Amino acid sequence: MWTKIKWGIRIALIVIAGLFLHYTLPQHDIVRITNTYNKLTTVGSNWMFFSMGDVGTGAEASTNRDIRFIDAVYADGTSVQVYRNEDTGWIWPPYFKYDSSNLQAEATNLRSSKDAPQWVAVTHYGWRLAILSIYPNAVGMREVTGPDVRIIPWVNIIILTFLAFAIFMLRRMWLQFWERTIDPVVANAEEAWDAVDAQADSARAKAQGLLGRVGAWLATWRPKTPK
Amino acid sequence: MILGWVRLAVLGFVLLSVVYLLVSLYSKSVRREKLEKRFDAGDVDGDREAYIETGMLEYRHGLRRRLIILVYIIPVITTVVTIYFVNY
Repeated sequence: MWTKIKWGIRIALIVIAGLFLHYTLPQHDIVRITNTYNKLTTVGSNWMFFSMGDVGTGAEASTNRDIRFIDAVYADGTSVQVYRNEDTGWIWPPYFKYDSSNLQAEATNLRSSKDAPQWVAVTHYGWRLAILSIYPNAVGMREVTGPDVRIIPWVNIIILTFLAFAIFMLRRMWLQFWERTIDPVVANAEEAWDAVDAQADSARAKAQGLLGRVGAWLATWRPKTPK
Repeated sequence: MILGWVRLAVLGFVLLSVVYLLVSLYSKSVRREKLEKRFDAGDVDGDREAYIETGMLEYRHGLRRRLIILVYIIPVITTVVTIYFVNY
């Protein structure tokens, strides 16, 4: 029962961490940009998935504001993607993006038609979830020669390797702390407890001895069995 | 916003100081354990306490302890590189 609950919590934590990383880490799409525009957008309960606070020019503090969008279509020609293009600010996610206007200009420059497609690798983070009206945030783009270009996610490789290393080191630090700081204290306490125990034992033995002696002495007053 | 990066700098400094403290405590503890084990293996003569204290003094002036300062330097470099690649 408890092992099941423990594993349930563990799996839930791993899933949450995985989703968090999947949302935050950069990904690449190879798309054709079809349109770029601003749209007056109301940010409501989905504020978590938009820029907020005093990033950019300060307009991001408002819940009703113009947001830059980039429409794109994948190589299959039918599935589409809509990116938002917002500054990220300085805390989270740590992209430190403040060139949204430039990126929008680049995107507009890279627009192309179905007949003469210009393929673009868009780096972005986030998810497109229509039900929540949330959009991935584009952080960079560059021209590529075709829709089949292979992109090696170096940044993700480095970040995930570093995360694994950090977890490994944290574990080692924890174990070291436990071994060098907690265990000796526990051992001392156990020793002290053993000492108390030993004392109690010897006292009991002594008491037994005394009672035994008294008992023996009393026994001498008992009437002797008649011959 | 200009205040954004000030906040990041302050927050980052506090956070990295905690990391620095933890790493340096860990590193010190590992070194002490190593010295203890080396002495207890019987390779060294003399007083155990003195041997460990000399070893720890050497550690305090050594390169390995100084390298822990990278805890501050690497994130700053990473941040600057990120800013460069995202915006320029």
